[in-house]
Amino acid sequence: MQLITKELAGKTALVTGGTKGIGRAIADRLLEAGALVIVTARNHPADGNMKHHFIAADITVAGEAEKMVGEINEKYGAIDILVNNMGGSNSPSGGFGVLTDEHWDSDLQLNLNSAVRLDRAILPQMAAKKDGVIIHISSVTGSLPVYESLGAYAVAKAALNNYSKSLSKEFTPQGIRVAAVSPGMVKTDTMDAYLQSLADTSGLSIAEVTQNLMSSLGGIPMGRMALPEEIAELVGFLVSPRASYITGVNYIIDGGANPSL
Amino acid sequence: MKKSSKELSGKIALVTGGTKGIGKAIADKLAASGATVVVTARKLPEEEMEHHFIAADLTKSEAIAELTEKMIHQYGTPDILINNVGGTASPAGGFQMLSDEDWNKDIVLNLLASIRLDKAIVPRMIEKNSGAVVHISSLNGKIPLYQSNFSYGVMKSALNAYSKTLANEVAKHGIRVNTVSPGMVRTTAMETFLEGYAQSISKTVTEAAQQIMDGLGGVPMNRLAEPEEIANMVVFLVSDGAGYITGTNMLVDGGTYPAV
Repeated sequence: MQLITKELAGKTALVTGGTKGIGRAIADRLLEAGALVIVTARNHPADGNMKHHFIAADITVAGEAEKMVGEINEKYGAIDILVNNMGGSNSPSGGFGVLTDEHWDSDLQLNLNSAVRLDRAILPQMAAKKDGVIIHISSVTGSLPVYESLGAYAVAKAALNNYSKSLSKEFTPQGIRVAAVSPGMVKTDTMDAYLQSLADTSGLSIAEVTQNLMSSLGGIPMGRMALPEEIAELVGFLVSPRASYITGVNYIIDGGANPSL
Repeated sequence: MKKSSKELSGKIALVTGGTKGIGKAIADKLAASGATVVVTARKLPEEEMEHHFIAADLTKSEAIAELTEKMIHQYGTPDILINNVGGTASPAGGFQMLSDEDWNKDIVLNLLASIRLDKAIVPRMIEKNSGAVVHISSLNGKIPLYQSNFSYGVMKSALNAYSKTLANEVAKHGIRVNTVSPGMVRTTAMETFLEGYAQSISKTVTEAAQQIMDGLGGVPMNRLAEPEEIANMVVFLVSDGAGYITGTNMLVDGGTYPAV
């Protein structure tokens, strides 16, 4: 593993959806690098094993993002690093035909609008310091859509990619770096539960649905899913001074899955 | 994942064009991270250098076998191969200025040299079922500039395609292959290039640099990169922490690339 230096000492970081999976791995990695880490989710994690500062919020609800940022500023000061990790989908599988207006709204709210609201609430304090980093955790489905089960989610991620790039153009001249990270398949509890639900509805084994999902991406040259720690390592690099010339990018971390140039 | 006092300790790295500019910065950072670094170039640099050195002119196909044999004999199969050699001496001024010879030279320097070296080294990495290869490309591979370096951009685009294809093929052997695409970087090679270009369009170096930045659509960070900023990405890519990253093209361009 990367030698962990305290390269983020003195920095305050906020990680959304930071109590489990990729978000938790990111929070842990930033803490190891010396940052003061605040995580947010709707609920306090059940296992009580939380080494990060925690603030409960549902940023899919209008006004909640601003309120949360105000509370964080009061308690911890200005935010230097924002990782928009929260995202996901509750939409059913079965293709385009089973997606209702509500599913589309929900996936866009969760994967796009929440990040937009939070960025809007935090950008002024970063602009005032002429310094800051914003990361958007996207997905390879943003450019490699998977229609069977993630049709609306993939669209929301594609929108997030465009939005992230646009934000970077506007705010990089003000000293704020903005970048997206697009993981492929990552081994988390959420992924395991998702594979289980696919297995339940199809009657296939976990191994078979996993293989099918990998195939729907065109196969994964590395032949495995990512570990959350591997996504966290890339994010840890991107928010650090080592990435000082990096902005406006969307870095793919997918074991080679995306087949296009 | 292992945590060592230096993350690349025990690793052997070969860096082509490693005596100046981006290549030197990469070699220095790899060494600082604990790797044993061998650099190759046509000749030793004037100032003292801390890295091991093998002289080679990689534009000559016969030099590849000789370099490989010396490398394996003296240092072993590299764990890390950085194909940094590249550049162009082709004239500016658009496609009509480029002769067959200009094109052939740029093909060899920016594409064939890397292909030939990979063909010599990667099979040995396959025997070990591990290795990391990085191809140093350029933003020009994705944003061509016909006025200043037409053929260079074309060859870097080809290098990008080659790198991705190789990544697909060798992933199953535990070898990761990635590309790094720097934007404009502050090196003596860049200064030389800008001086030549400025002369050819009868402008100052500052005006020439501005014209190129404008041709790229502007640089949001409003400055050139330092070689160390490119080296940081390369060192990250070859580290164990980047173990799920292969077949990618990592832009390090201050936000220049305009598309999603």
